[in-house]
Amino acid sequence: MKAFLALVVPEAAPRGRVLAALCAMLPRVGVADDGAFVCDLRGTERLLGAPARVARNAIAACGAAGAGIAPGAGIGTTPFVARIAASQVPAGTVCEIAAGGERAFLDVLPLDVLPLQPRLIDELALLGIRRIGEFLALPRGAVSDRFGQAAAIAYGLASGEAIEDVRGAVPRRRIRAKRMWDAPVDSRERLVFALRGAADELSEALRHDGLAALRIRLVLERDDLLPLRLERSLLPPSGESSAIVRSLRWGLEELPALGAVISASLEITAVEPARGRQIGLFAPDGAHAEEAIAVTQFLRTRLGPNAVLQPRVVDADARLPERVAEWEEVVR
Amino acid sequence: MATTLAEAIASVEGRFGTHVLARGAAVERRSAERRIQTGTSLDAMTPVLASGAPLAFIGPGSTGVTTLAHHAVAGAQRDGGTVLWVDPSATFDPLVALRAGVDLARLVVVRAHTRDDVLLAARAALRSDGFRLAVVDIGLRFAAVQRVGIDDLAPLLAIVRSSPAALLVVSETRPVRVAIPTLAFARVAWERRFGRTTGWVSSVGERAVFHFGALGRELHDVGTRGELLEQTG
Repeated sequence: MKAFLALVVPEAAPRGRVLAALCAMLPRVGVADDGAFVCDLRGTERLLGAPARVARNAIAACGAAGAGIAPGAGIGTTPFVARIAASQVPAGTVCEIAAGGERAFLDVLPLDVLPLQPRLIDELALLGIRRIGEFLALPRGAVSDRFGQAAAIAYGLASGEAIEDVRGAVPRRRIRAKRMWDAPVDSRERLVFALRGAADELSEALRHDGLAALRIRLVLERDDLLPLRLERSLLPPSGESSAIVRSLRWGLEELPALGAVISASLEITAVEPARGRQIGLFAPDGAHAEEAIAVTQFLRTRLGPNAVLQPRVVDADARLPERVAEWEEVVR
Repeated sequence: MATTLAEAIASVEGRFGTHVLARGAAVERRSAERRIQTGTSLDAMTPVLASGAPLAFIGPGSTGVTTLAHHAVAGAQRDGGTVLWVDPSATFDPLVALRAGVDLARLVVVRAHTRDDVLLAARAALRSDGFRLAVVDIGLRFAAVQRVGIDDLAPLLAIVRSSPAALLVVSETRPVRVAIPTLAFARVAWERRFGRTTGWVSSVGERAVFHFGALGRELHDVGTRGELLEQTG
């Protein structure tokens, strides 16, 4: 099955909540240039049912999320056809364009549904071309040569030769944790120790979503001092609590004075999908290899070249001792 | 009563992290898992080399301190761990380490030239989860470019207590201002053949005896004092 679902919601609708509701029920949801929500339903029929049923459920979900809004839904074999279908139907109803019926549906529609400049539409109208069917009757190469790339793209969308990509647009979720203390924390060691619980919390949230933290932000509220803001990048990105704590510790060590900290707010400000890691079959500690690499990178940065090295024996029987081994930089 | 205890535990874990409290049985099991086995008589002695604990090998040159440190590195790597060797005197010999069973691919040598750099490197290793063992080889007094003493490593002792890695210090001199569990090495006798020195015998903590061969020959673990008494009557 090759089906896309498009939903056109009113301008005044709470789009963020609608998007969150669609993301919660469908695997791949994107937002098209005209603001319509486009859902890729390929491969979901056994799990979710027929596209028409999915469309009705999506309309209901949007209604629940958006305080009673009823989007128009369209189903087609391409995102473009689905979007046009959704825009042509009354709110709360579903229009399904069966495979093979796209040309019959599109041919009678005016040119302004295509992504064309008004000036170009006027130019085509002077040539007697007012509907999509008439536009598609032109030779493809001639359209490209005479009217440019934008017209060629519109031609490809209408003819089904070009398929828009549905990019997953997962709504941003704030992953953060806050800690407050009755007695002010005035030493780095105690602060890092106390932040471990918050880092564990963030790590659990990241693991739940299959994400790795790329950037973290720590805001420290202090007694009689302005709040202290610390931004750190995690390289390589990691969802591990220990990596977050380590990065915070290194960041805090660079501060000349900490002050009396009464609360800390830790937030993940940038994420990326967590990658799988190769773990040595017979090495139980192999999972921590990335940690070791991160430490060597840190030491290389702080100590400079020719300080963080790895030896390699090249000739155990060499007559001169200096030819026995070679030293290589662990991080270049 | 139980509710109060649960609330206290929840409060401590909420403030200091979920793994800060453990039952006695779990602590006992973890202590066995934390030990690093060198595969020599040292394993039967106390103090032991274990994650979260410091240990110092103290002895003058040619008593086998470095050789047994290599065996400790090999033991840490046997469990799949990576080892950081801080080498301020730049005296690490890869061939000797290889012969002692060290996997050089899982060893990072840091040539730190100042006290601050030594502390920085060891601290970074102990605070990460990436290393099973951090070795600080202070080296012989005459070989040290800039004097880094065992007493300078005092800040590491607090850090290693909460670390998943062990700290091993190799030094010629005993600490004066810090309290660190120590195994003292002393040479018992030189071995001579045809007027040449071919090896020596050292005792560790006056309880274990090792025979070291010169010119890269293998270490021979003679055994602990108890084992020797049993054999000789």
